[in-house]
Amino acid sequence: MLSFVFRRLAVAVPTLLILVVLSFVLMYAAPGGPFNSERPLPPEVLANIEAKYGLDQPFWKQIVNYVVSVVTQFDFGPSFQYKDRSVNDVIAQGFPVTLTYGFWSFVVAVTVGVSLGVAAAIKQNSWVDYFAVGVSIGAQVLPNFVMAPLLLLVFTLWLGWLPGGGWNGGQWQFLIMPVIALSTSYMASIARITRSSMLEVLNTNFIRTARAKGLPMRRVIWKHAMKPTMLPVLSYLGPAFVGMITGSVIIDVFFSTGGIGQFFVNSAFNRDYSVIMGITILVGTLTILFNLLVDILYAWIDPKIRY
Amino acid sequence: MSLLEIEDLKVTFTTADGDVNAVNGVSFHVDKGETLAIVGESGSGKSQTAFATMGLLAKNGRATGKARFDGQDLLQMSQREFNAIRSKDIAMIFQDPMTSLNPYLKISDQMAEVLMLHKGIGKSQAVKESAQMLDAVRIPDAAARITMYPHEFSGGMRQRIMIAMSLLCQPRLLIADEPTTALDVTVQAQIMQLLGDIRQDFGTAVILITHDLGVVAGFCDRTLVMYGGQVMEEGTTDDIFATPAHPYTSGLLKAVPRLDRDDGDLLTIAGEPPDMSNLPKGCPFSPRCAVSLDRCRSQRPAMETIGNRRRACHLPASEVA
Repeated sequence: MLSFVFRRLAVAVPTLLILVVLSFVLMYAAPGGPFNSERPLPPEVLANIEAKYGLDQPFWKQIVNYVVSVVTQFDFGPSFQYKDRSVNDVIAQGFPVTLTYGFWSFVVAVTVGVSLGVAAAIKQNSWVDYFAVGVSIGAQVLPNFVMAPLLLLVFTLWLGWLPGGGWNGGQWQFLIMPVIALSTSYMASIARITRSSMLEVLNTNFIRTARAKGLPMRRVIWKHAMKPTMLPVLSYLGPAFVGMITGSVIIDVFFSTGGIGQFFVNSAFNRDYSVIMGITILVGTLTILFNLLVDILYAWIDPKIRY
Repeated sequence: MSLLEIEDLKVTFTTADGDVNAVNGVSFHVDKGETLAIVGESGSGKSQTAFATMGLLAKNGRATGKARFDGQDLLQMSQREFNAIRSKDIAMIFQDPMTSLNPYLKISDQMAEVLMLHKGIGKSQAVKESAQMLDAVRIPDAAARITMYPHEFSGGMRQRIMIAMSLLCQPRLLIADEPTTALDVTVQAQIMQLLGDIRQDFGTAVILITHDLGVVAGFCDRTLVMYGGQVMEEGTTDDIFATPAHPYTSGLLKAVPRLDRDDGDLLTIAGEPPDMSNLPKGCPFSPRCAVSLDRCRSQRPAMETIGNRRRACHLPASEVA
C-alpha cells in the first residue's frame, strides 16, 4: 500500500509538469497580454514593464524560470494585475474562503445526497422514492447560476433573513446561501448515483443471504449494503470534492465571497499569467491528491482491491 | 404434526406484462429430521416455493396460502416475528456460492452476526463458535482462515462456509436450493456427503431443491416432482424411481444419462417449459406429454392420493411407462 502511494506521488510529478507546460503554451498562444489596454502604453514603457516581469525572454526560458522558482522557492511569482501582491498572497487570501464554503457544500451534498439516494432505493416506487427522485431532478436542473439569484431574491430581498453577500470571516449567516447554491447540483448527482447503486446492491445474492439470516432490514442496509453502494459514489466524490473546494466564480460573483474562483476567471480575462498558473497548479495538485485518496478508500472498502 | 406444512401455496409476481403465476397451489409437508427432494426443470416453481417459505420473494412477488412451521403460519408473520425464526429455526443455502457471501466482509463477521443476533452472545465467543462450525464442515485451518474474505476461498469452500453459517443455530429445517449446481462434479459429491453427515449429526430436516435426479436417489426420503408451478407427483424416493406414476416423472428419469447402458443419443422431453404468465388450461405438462388425452388439455387433473403417494394425472398409473 505504501509503495503504491509513493508510486502514485512519483507519477504526479510528471503529470503536474505536463499540466504546467500545457497551460503555459495555451496562455502564450492566446493573443494580448497583461499590459495591453484600450489606451496603448508607449512602446518603450511597455518594453520596460515586460522586461521587469521577464516577458521579453524566449518562451523556453520563461517556462524554465517559472518551474525553477516554483520548485525551489515555492514562489509562484508576482501578480501582473495587482501590483503589490504575489500569487501566493492571492491564493492565501482566496483559498481559505473557497475551502470553507466548498467543504461545507461537500458535507451538505454528501449527507443529503446519500440519505435521499438510500431512502429512495429502500422505498423504491413509493412516495419516498418519488419525492427523492423529484428533489434530485429539481436540484439538477437548477444550476448554481440559477440557484444563486433565486436564493438572493427569496432570502435577502423578500424575507430579509440573510445578508446578500460578503464573507465576514465565514460567519454562518454568510455561508448558508453559497453552500446551498454550490451543493444542490452535486447533491442531486450523489442522490441519483446512490439510489441506482443501492438498488443494484439490494438485488444481489449476498443481500438475500443477509435477509435469510433474520437480520433486521436496517442492519442489512448498514452492514451489508452500504459499502458496495458507496463504491461508485466514491469515484464521483473525489473530483466533486476538488470541484467544490476550488470554488466557483458564480458563487464568488453573486455572493461577493472573495474566493479564488473569482480571481481565476478575472486572471484569465486580464492575462494575469502567474495567477492563472498558480490556481491551475493548485487545482491540478488537489485533483491528483483526492483521486489518490479515493483509490486508497477503494482498497479500504473492497478487500479484493490490493495495491 | 409435521415440522413444515405447505398448503395451497401460490406465488404471483406482478410485472409490467401482467401477473406471472410461478407457484400454483402447491401442498406438501416435511417431518422432523426428514429429507424431501423437490425436483423439476428450471421455471417449475421449486425455488420460488422455497423463497416464499423463507419470506425472500422479490419485491414484486406475493405468496398466498399457508406455510405452517411448527403450527405457526409463516406467511402471516410480521417481519419481526419472521426474522426471529430465519436462520434460527429455518435456514437456507443457495445455488451460487460464489455470490451468496458478502464480498466486502470477513467470514468471521458474516458468521458471528448470526450467533450474536439469535443467541445474544458476544462477538469473540461468536467467532469462536463459528470457527468450530467451519471446522465441522471440514474447512482446514478454520481458526485462522475465518478472518479471510470470501474471494480467498474456492466455490466448494464457499458453499461449505454457507452450510456452516446456516447450521450455526442448529436449525430444525434446512432448505438447500440447488446447493451443488454451480460446483464441479467431485466437489458436488463432497458437498452432498457433508449435507448427509449434517442431517445425521444434527437431526436437521432438509428440503433439497434440485434438478439432478442422481443427487436425489441416494439422499432423500421422499421426492416431490413439480412442473409449471404445480405438484405432479409425490412419493418415497424409491417408489418414484422404481415406478414413476406420472409421464413427466418418467420423462425426467429417462432423460438421466446412464453410463451402464449404451443408449446412443441423450433422451430429452420434447418442447419447452411452459410460459408461466400463460399456463395451459388443463394439465401444465399436456402440451409436451407424449401420452396426453383430450381432457388433459381442458381439465386440470385433481391430486389423487394412494397410500403414501400422490399424483396429478388423468392417465391411470398403470399406463404410465
